[in-house]
Amino acid sequence: MPSVILNHTILKGYLNEKDSVSIDGTFIGDIKAEEIIVNNLGNINGNLNASANIEVNGEVVGDLSADKIHLTSSAKVRGKLFHKNLVVDEGAQVEVVARTRNKISNLNKE
Amino acid sequence: MFFNSNKKNDSSIDGFSHLGEGSSFEGEIHCKGEIEVAGKVKGNISAKCLTILETGKVTGRVNAEKVEILGCMIGNTDSVNVHVGEKGVVRGDLRFELNLSVAEGADILGHVHKAKKDKNKKVDTEKVKYLEHNQAS
Repeated sequence: MPSVILNHTILKGYLNEKDSVSIDGTFIGDIKAEEIIVNNLGNINGNLNASANIEVNGEVVGDLSADKIHLTSSAKVRGKLFHKNLVVDEGAQVEVVARTRNKISNLNKE
Repeated sequence: MFFNSNKKNDSSIDGFSHLGEGSSFEGEIHCKGEIEVAGKVKGNISAKCLTILETGKVTGRVNAEKVEILGCMIGNTDSVNVHVGEKGVVRGDLRFELNLSVAEGADILGHVHKAKKDKNKKVDTEKVKYLEHNQAS
């Protein structure tokens, strides 16, 4: 069952989820999941680590690592990206260092 | 503006936040709306409405207006209304202001007490009444 964190919710700490996580609230800390979706009102200060994909519509400050990273037009991202596939839509505000890797799973262990 | 058309209104909260069965969270949660926990949470939670589902386990302090414990709760609970379901397990104190309901089969170990938040105010009014009474006689 996926996790959903709505607007007006603040979480501080470490979240580990086997399924997907969808965030519309504020999260301070690291997230590890299969899939992470940061929605428009989502605000994250920490590292995101997904085994499948990360989609960002909101704001993220921290490192992102996933097989597929999608930054949509409303995304604001600052940090490092580790990915196999990267998609950045027109309008996304980014301040990032991006690195393409063949195997992301090894990177995550570091 | 064109971009903002599909943005949700900031002030409205529809539905509830949910922490899934396969999730484990360590840290603090502050929620102005409803939150459902089906996974494991270690840390303090403050929310308007908290539901710990059957698969959920919370270790820490809880402060809310309404708490429903259908799963496992280890730590002290402070709320206006508390409900403990038939599979609910509570290890810790339950402090409630208005209503407490416990279903048959619930497992509770700890103090259960009804207490008002504005303790000081109550004491003050009683003191005033006492003084007024004395003056009258």
